[in-house]
Amino acid sequence: MRHPHRVAVTGLGAVTPIGNDVETFRRNLLAGVSGAGPITLFDPASLPTRFACEVKWTGPVLRDRKVTFALEAARQAFEQATDGSDAGPGSRPLGPGGVSLGIGLELFSIDGGILTPSDLAVHLMARRYGLEAPPLTHVSACAAGTDAIGHAFRLVASGRWRHALAGGADSMINPLGVGGFCKIGATSTRNADPTRASRPFDRARDGFVLGEGAAVLVLERLEDARARGAPVLAEIAGYGASFDAHGISEPHPEGRGAFQAMARALADAEARPEDVDCVNAHGTSTPKNDPIETLAIKRLLGERARAVPVCATKSMIGHLISAAGAVEAVAAIEGLRAGLVHPTINLEAPDPLCDLDHVAGGAARPHEQRCVLSNSFAFGGQNAAIVIVRPDDRRLPLPPGEGPGEGRDARR
Amino acid sequence: MDARPDAAHRDLLIAGLGHVVVDGSPGSPCDPTPFLRVRKNRKFMGVQDDLAVVAAGRALAAAGLGSGSLGERAGLYLAVGYIPFEKADIDRLLEGSFDERGAFSMALFTTRGYGAVNPLLTFRCLSNMPAFHISVNTDLQGPYIVTYPGPGQLYLALEAAVRALAGGEVDVALVAGVNGLERAAGCVVIETEAHARARTAPAARARLADLAVSYRAHDPIEEPATGSDPPLGPAALPVALSLAAEAGETTFRHEVHARDGIDATSTWEIARA
Repeated sequence: MRHPHRVAVTGLGAVTPIGNDVETFRRNLLAGVSGAGPITLFDPASLPTRFACEVKWTGPVLRDRKVTFALEAARQAFEQATDGSDAGPGSRPLGPGGVSLGIGLELFSIDGGILTPSDLAVHLMARRYGLEAPPLTHVSACAAGTDAIGHAFRLVASGRWRHALAGGADSMINPLGVGGFCKIGATSTRNADPTRASRPFDRARDGFVLGEGAAVLVLERLEDARARGAPVLAEIAGYGASFDAHGISEPHPEGRGAFQAMARALADAEARPEDVDCVNAHGTSTPKNDPIETLAIKRLLGERARAVPVCATKSMIGHLISAAGAVEAVAAIEGLRAGLVHPTINLEAPDPLCDLDHVAGGAARPHEQRCVLSNSFAFGGQNAAIVIVRPDDRRLPLPPGEGPGEGRDARR
Repeated sequence: MDARPDAAHRDLLIAGLGHVVVDGSPGSPCDPTPFLRVRKNRKFMGVQDDLAVVAAGRALAAAGLGSGSLGERAGLYLAVGYIPFEKADIDRLLEGSFDERGAFSMALFTTRGYGAVNPLLTFRCLSNMPAFHISVNTDLQGPYIVTYPGPGQLYLALEAAVRALAGGEVDVALVAGVNGLERAAGCVVIETEAHARARTAPAARARLADLAVSYRAHDPIEEPATGSDPPLGPAALPVALSLAAEAGETTFRHEVHARDGIDATSTWEIARA
């Protein structure tokens, strides 16, 4: 689909289990640091899973950790995008825009009453940054962060929004959250060895490790970013979504929906499979997801599949559920800018069904990238993918008058 | 910015409408069984899932799309309300979690309380499960949006559907609102004129004449927005539209000034049955 506007990423913010800002997150990500450890947020007592990837947060909490994380990630992203020129609540240094946020379940009291509705975050963000468009609150579970970025991309690319704060936030490290995932056997029970528990694509994987956090991206029209001299960190070039229409917790056996989401994202970007230089996988470390995602990537990339690095950020930060796609988009952008692909840690004995280059070895690898796919797949068979490209050297077709190398290059 | 009417909807047809409102009376059943293609999933379905499948099933049947696979060229644009925790489920969880002094005990919660809970409760609590159950029972493989929690977010889903149809991304869009707490759901099936012609569809039920959505940014903690949600929340618009069509109205106007600051209006021209 030819969009009227190219969409620049001009700000990033992240609160993650391995760093409460983008710089720390990137450093630990590239060093292969695990954020997993025993649960400290509550007493997990006898739950089958007693560890998680917690955010090491010492600041005040506004109502709910995920709301707090969202606001902090938005603050960081907005500050970067505006070079610190934010003039206070309600100011509009980027002009009119909107919020698109993937977020998890509302916070309940023990008797089932709602303590904090999850859409609190979007309204606080809209108010703080003077965003007048009706804010989108996405609740597509594990795909919500990517969906939020994807829909914001479409709104900016179509010209309906001038800019967006887009991302995801979640924290389910509470008795109901951890207990619920334990109850359906989704989480790893490697309690004696938390840092080695999240092991996407490894033969010994036994479930995901629950994480928490948030990431927010500032998206704006490329021409606007250039006009105001803002560094362009990356571009979002395409978004695709699909339903498996198959199983509630198991993906389609042929990876039909995963393939469709990736293929649609590439088509949306007017890109080809051969343009893809790296895949930031959903890579949950669950027995069911990883081989099916591998299968879908093979179908998409064909003979090139084994030559394309396919990394799993969740090996280090766990599964951030509604925030996962947003934090992984930040990981993909930072890798693209640095010319590095981060490792998939704990990948010691690859599952024979996960036979791509999953970046084992525990260390980041130099790898020039121009086009990265980032995947998120949800319980219930909702699949989302976005295409992220380097702004300075885009192989994809450009709107008339848009040549490569224009604008400021913020690549380090 | 978003308050202007969108011209993109003019070539779109409302192919089918369906709703369900469970008020406890004998005439308001919500049995999804006739609409289930994958019956093994029945055990996963909670109240919001039942409502969504029934509303979508009725709307698709009215559109003449009830029997086939919707496939890759159909999308789902859904707004869901707050999670409808069942009191019985919570009670079961808590029953075993209090000690002899009546105090909540984490140790008991993670043993007795946890042990008493049905694993299926996890699935019934996830906001995106109505989307799953609609997709699996209609073989809908296209794109989606799942928003939350009020009537304004239903309008944003409707806008997304209109854009997807007008942009050629889908031929058929299911726009649905589900409110588990108030036991209501509604669904509007929208399709492009070209798609309707190609499948020799039944006569269109309605057209969307205008649509406008705007927002009053506010601080929900310090300075909540004025406004109130209509009964049925995210299900309000599709249920009211469906009822208006059943009542033989020829024009239906809907207006929301929601407590989340979203203002929206829509006008629908309804064909005589």
